[in-house]
Order: sequence, then structure tokens, then C-alpha cells
Amino acid sequence: MDSLQIIFTVIRLVIGVVCIVGTWMIFSKFGKKGWYAIIPLVCEYKLGECCGKERDGFFMALFSVAFNIVSSAVAFFPENSDEELILSLVSLIMFVPYAVFTIRVYMGLCEAFGKRRLWVILWLLDSTKWICAIYFGINKKIQPKESYLHLNDHASEELSGINVTGNGRDLSVNIRKRSVNNFFSKVTLLRDLHLTIPTGHMVLLLGGSGAGKTTFLNAVTGYEKADADVELGKWNVYRDYNKMKYDVGFVPQQDLMRGSDTVYRTISDAASLRLPKNMKYAEKKARVDEVLEIFGLSALRGNLVSKLSGGQRKRLSIALEYISFPTLFILDEPDSGLDGVVARNLFLKLREIADTGKIVIVITHTPGRVMDLFDDIIVLAKDHARTGRLAFYGPVDEAFGFFGCTTAEEILLAINQKEEGGEGRAEEFVNKFDALLQTAGGEA
Amino acid sequence: MEIKHSGRISQLFIYTGKLFRMFVLQNDWKMLPMAAIIAAIVSYVVGSTLFVNMAGTLMGTFGLTSICVWNGCFNSIQAICRERPIVKREHRSGLHMTSYIGAHMIYQAFICLCQTGIIIVVLHISNVSFPSLSHVTGSVDADLFITMFLISYASDMISLFVSAIVRNTTTAMTVMPFVMIFQLIFSGGIFALSGFAHTLTDFAVSRWGLCAMCAISDYNSLPNEMILATIDNIDVSKLSSDYSETDISGGAGITVADAAEILQEGMRDPELREKFIYTCGEMAYVEDYRSDGDNIINCWLNIGTAIVIFPILSVAALEFIDKDKR
Repeated sequence: MDSLQIIFTVIRLVIGVVCIVGTWMIFSKFGKKGWYAIIPLVCEYKLGECCGKERDGFFMALFSVAFNIVSSAVAFFPENSDEELILSLVSLIMFVPYAVFTIRVYMGLCEAFGKRRLWVILWLLDSTKWICAIYFGINKKIQPKESYLHLNDHASEELSGINVTGNGRDLSVNIRKRSVNNFFSKVTLLRDLHLTIPTGHMVLLLGGSGAGKTTFLNAVTGYEKADADVELGKWNVYRDYNKMKYDVGFVPQQDLMRGSDTVYRTISDAASLRLPKNMKYAEKKARVDEVLEIFGLSALRGNLVSKLSGGQRKRLSIALEYISFPTLFILDEPDSGLDGVVARNLFLKLREIADTGKIVIVITHTPGRVMDLFDDIIVLAKDHARTGRLAFYGPVDEAFGFFGCTTAEEILLAINQKEEGGEGRAEEFVNKFDALLQTAGGEA
Repeated sequence: MEIKHSGRISQLFIYTGKLFRMFVLQNDWKMLPMAAIIAAIVSYVVGSTLFVNMAGTLMGTFGLTSICVWNGCFNSIQAICRERPIVKREHRSGLHMTSYIGAHMIYQAFICLCQTGIIIVVLHISNVSFPSLSHVTGSVDADLFITMFLISYASDMISLFVSAIVRNTTTAMTVMPFVMIFQLIFSGGIFALSGFAHTLTDFAVSRWGLCAMCAISDYNSLPNEMILATIDNIDVSKLSSDYSETDISGGAGITVADAAEILQEGMRDPELREKFIYTCGEMAYVEDYRSDGDNIINCWLNIGTAIVIFPILSVAALEFIDKDKR
């Protein structure tokens, strides 16, 4: 080995050490253990985790291993052999996703540090990677954005231990935790939500984007089971799901219906699916006609679904769920895309349904025009760990007093994160309501 | 008392009705004239030699197999994925996936039957000379109809499975060419495959379809005109100049050109020509295309395996539809 080679080897070693130290310090800046930087696979995955791109980090690590194994294996076979050709092809195939996921992770890191994406180019090249390591890791002036620091803080806060019960007819919800496994980490989506909704009540579910409104509703209906006890009357929604599912109507945000079928057939097929088997044909037909009448669709019974207007489609979508006359009726943004008058009429219809002794829960982003129709309001908000928490549940007028606001929009403004243009007071109200619940022993 | 809701059988009727309504109200009926157009194009190109000689029959049956695979794939590739969120919603409301897939199977069988019937009619209209001897049902039309229906339907079920596992139509249309290319390359008819590649043909519906069609058309008894056509087209004068010094008789002074000229002269005799092409045909015997009922039924059963397996896999895949992310 001549002196030039020795110098190059030493330089490469130094660069390697700088890269490891830089990555170590990047992890420290995100509040993670620095030694992840010296474990090859973990390092890639954790880099992705730092910038909220766990999936990309996982695949970056996976394809990195696959690419390295396959490209190393090529050396074991003779030149121009079939095996060499096949392995070279496979390594090329592996390299493409490896490069793509690597770019995604580094783009995420640039975003997390609030820097331009052009840095990705330096990060990708072996000869310039050390510059990024020094700039992002060793340079103390460069710090990640606040919102990225708590991304994986799925803290193990203690549960309140509150447990509410209904009067035998109400909907009682005790969601202790709703978590999902995100590759190697567990993400808590909802925590400590306890409430009882009496029959005949129409409830507004309010919360900013990502606060867990749909997750909450899915947990209540049993579509996505949580660590929870949900009871509707005498039934436990989770345990008796197969019997219960016909008693829960869930109208999704999108109008999920076949456009090429007629209005009447769409409802009558739904009736055949959801109504009891022993119900007579004439009764089913009468029920279909009744629902068509209730939702003002009688005149459109022969029309194709694809030819309906937005409001008509929405009414049909609601009618599909209402056909089984469910006790719990949940609607996810039923007024999206509807003008004020149509939306108001739709909510009046929902009010009428609630008045028949049903429980109606509605998510809407424009509650102002229909606020007077609701009995109660549930407010969900993200806490510091981005977990959906209960910030309030109770009558509408009490909600305004609790938040010190006069409209639902002002409540949203108060609880939304600062980067979403809100006041970022979610944590304050979550704690305030938590304390209120603890004092009242679970009864707000 | 527990309230019972509609079971699998009644749901099967509901969804079959729904699909047939879509056939009329949506544009699914357009698949039928499309099948006629494709069949007409193929019969125009290969119809004159189909079932007449070995090369033409192989090309023609490959063409027919390709039509069937094409039809089957396009019939159902978007059938489920285009309405996946709707199916998810309905599954939550008590839809049984066995009924849903069962309804699709009935509906797709109807479409494939119609398409296959259209292909047979188009072949007759195009004056394709059909084989005279049936090996299974007593009617060549019926033998061919069953074979083409099975190929279409099996391809249809494979596509239905793809449609059941992918989340959207874009992915489905990206995957479909791979399914079709696999079917066409591994049919074993056009590309000479050996070793592992040949083993893969066992998993291609098109391979068994092609074998069945060649068996029905009595492939091994057909004349092989390829060699005769090559002999007829030899340019003796070119051979004379290119191989003037080449003695192929071990000193007797016969060159390549001389031998070619003797062969051409000899093959002018019509009786000899006739005998020669059939002898060449016998020498090109392919065991897979053996013309007997057992072989054909065996091919049908192999295709039938796909028709049974893929719907089961589709049901299994759709049972997890609730896990779809929002």
C-alpha cells in the first residue's frame, strides 16, 4: 500500500466517522438515542421515524439490505454467467426502490429541519454526505421544527380510570385507548374518551383535522375496535357486533353507491340486506317507499344514481343507512358540498330522526348554520403527543361557556394547532375537561 | 330472539341481479361487440390456414387463445376494485363475500359464454374450415366452444382475483399486462421454452387451452408445409455462386446447389408433395397436442383448476377489506 492509498483510506475513515457522529447528533436533536446511528438497519428506519416517514424509513432499510446482499452475491459467480446476469438484474431492480425511499426520507429530513430539498442531493452522494452530517447534526444552530419533536411521543400517560354508564337505553362510550401498530412503533390515536349520549339527542362531533373524529366514530360503531367498552342500550357493541351492526347506521363522507343503478333498486337492495329475513315482502316494500318519501326521493325512484345532484345523492346515501331504522345513526360530514339551504333542510331531517328516539351523531365542518339543531357537542382535540383527546362533551350552551367562545368556529380556532392557523390551546382544554370529569366522577 | 338477516343465497340473487342491471344500464354490454371485432381481425389474419396445416393451426389457435385471454382479462379486471369502497361499506352492513364473488362468477360466466359464442359465429362467417372429427362431445363446435369458454372464464377469474387484491383501478390496469404477458409467453405455442421456463407453462391457462385446441384440430395429423415451402423457395443460382466449391458427396462432385436442384425437381410431383408434407407432419409430432378425448378433458380439468382456485382466493382476499385504510 503506497502513501497515497493510506491517505485516501484515512480520509474515508474520517468521513465515515463524521457521518456517524453527525447522524448520532441528528438523532439526539429529535430526542432519540444517538447510538441508533451505528446500527445499519435501525439507523435508516429511525431516520425515517424522525421526520414522520416511518414507512419510507422501513422500506429504505429493507431495500438497502436486499440491494447490498444481492449486489455482493454477484461477485461469487463467474463473469457473463446466467447467475451473474440474473443477480445483476435483481440488484438493479432493488436499487430503484432503495433510491426512491432514500430520497423520500432525506426530503422528509430537510422538511423537518425547515431546509430546502436541494440538500437531498448532497445527502445522497457518498462523497458529500459528511457535509450534511456536519450541517444538520453537528451544527447546533440547526434544529428541527417543534412539531417534529413530539412525533413519536406516544407517551405512556396513565389512563384516568373513569368509567361512565348509561341508563340502559343510552349510548355509553368508554374508550380507554385506540392504538395502531405502525411498523415497529405503536401510535395512540385516541385516549381516555368517556361519555354517555341519551336517546333522542342529536350530537355535534367537532374537532380539527386529524383530531380523530372518524377514528372515534369507527371505534364507537365497532368497525375499528379499540380498547373500549361501548354499550348501546343493553347491547355491548363489540361483543354483540354481529347482532348490533344492523342497529348502527354509518353514513360515510363519500357517497358510496353504484352510479349505474336506479334509486329505487339501490334502496330496495339495501333493504334486502339490512332488514330482517322474516319481514314480509310487502312490509319491506312499504319501508322502502316510506324512506323514499322521508328523504324526498320518491319522484326520483327510477333515476340512475349517477344522474342525481349532490344533495340528492347525499340524501340517498343517508336513506341507505336509515332503511334499517337504526338506534344509533352516525353521519360523517353529510353536508359537504351542499349549499346552506339544502344542508339546513338535511339537518332538519336528522333532527326529526333524533326526535323519534334515535341517537344521531354528526361530524360537520360548517356547524354554524345548524348549531341550534344540536343538543350536545363533543369536542376532540390533539394533545402534545398528537393523540385525540376529549376536550369537551356536554350541552351546546355550556360548551360556549367552557371555551369562552360564541360560535363553534371559534371553538375550533381555539383548539387547532398553531401551524394549522389555530391558537394551539388544545392541551389546556383537554386538561381542564379532564379535571372537570375527575371532579364529577365521570359525569360532566 | 335473534333476528336473522339475508343469507348467502338471497344475497347471491341480489348481487347477480345488480350486476345484470349494470350490464344493461352501464356499458358492460360493449364487451360483446368488442369480442366480435377482435375475433374478426384474428380470423381475417389467420383464418385461411387455421385447421388446414400445422403452422397455420398453431398460429391460429394461439390467436384464438389470445382473444380468450384478452376478453377474460378485460371483462373483470376493474369489476371489484372500481367499487371497493362500496363493497367495504356493504360488507359492514352484512354482505357475505362468498355471495358477492358468486354473483360475479355467474355474471362473468354469462359474459364469457356470449363472447365465446360470438367468436365461434365469427369464425363460421369468415369461412374458417373447421375440423371434421370431434373427440369429446360429438361436435367440433361444442369442443371448441367449451375450450374457448374455459380459457376466457379462467382468465376472467384470474383478473377477478387481481381486482380483488388491488385497491384501485390504476393498480389493476398496471398489473394486468403482466398477467396477460405471462399467459401469452408461457402458452408454449410460439416461444420454444425449456427447463424452468417450461415448468412455468403448467401454471398458464393459455398453455392448456392451446393444447386442447390443437388436440381438437387434430394438429398431429395435419400437413407440415413449412419444409416444402422452404424447398420451393430455394434460389439455386445463388447457391451455385455461394457454394460452388463445396462438394457434399465425398468426391462425387455434387454441390449444395446440385442437391437443392435435385430436391426441387423431385418435389414437383404432386403425389410426392402430398406424401412429403404429411411425412413432415408426422415428424413434427407433439405429444401435448395428442388428439384424443382424454388429453382434451385433461386440459379442460387443468383450466378448471384455475376457475376453482382463484374465486376462493378472491373471497379470502376480500374478507380483509375492512382492514383497508381510509
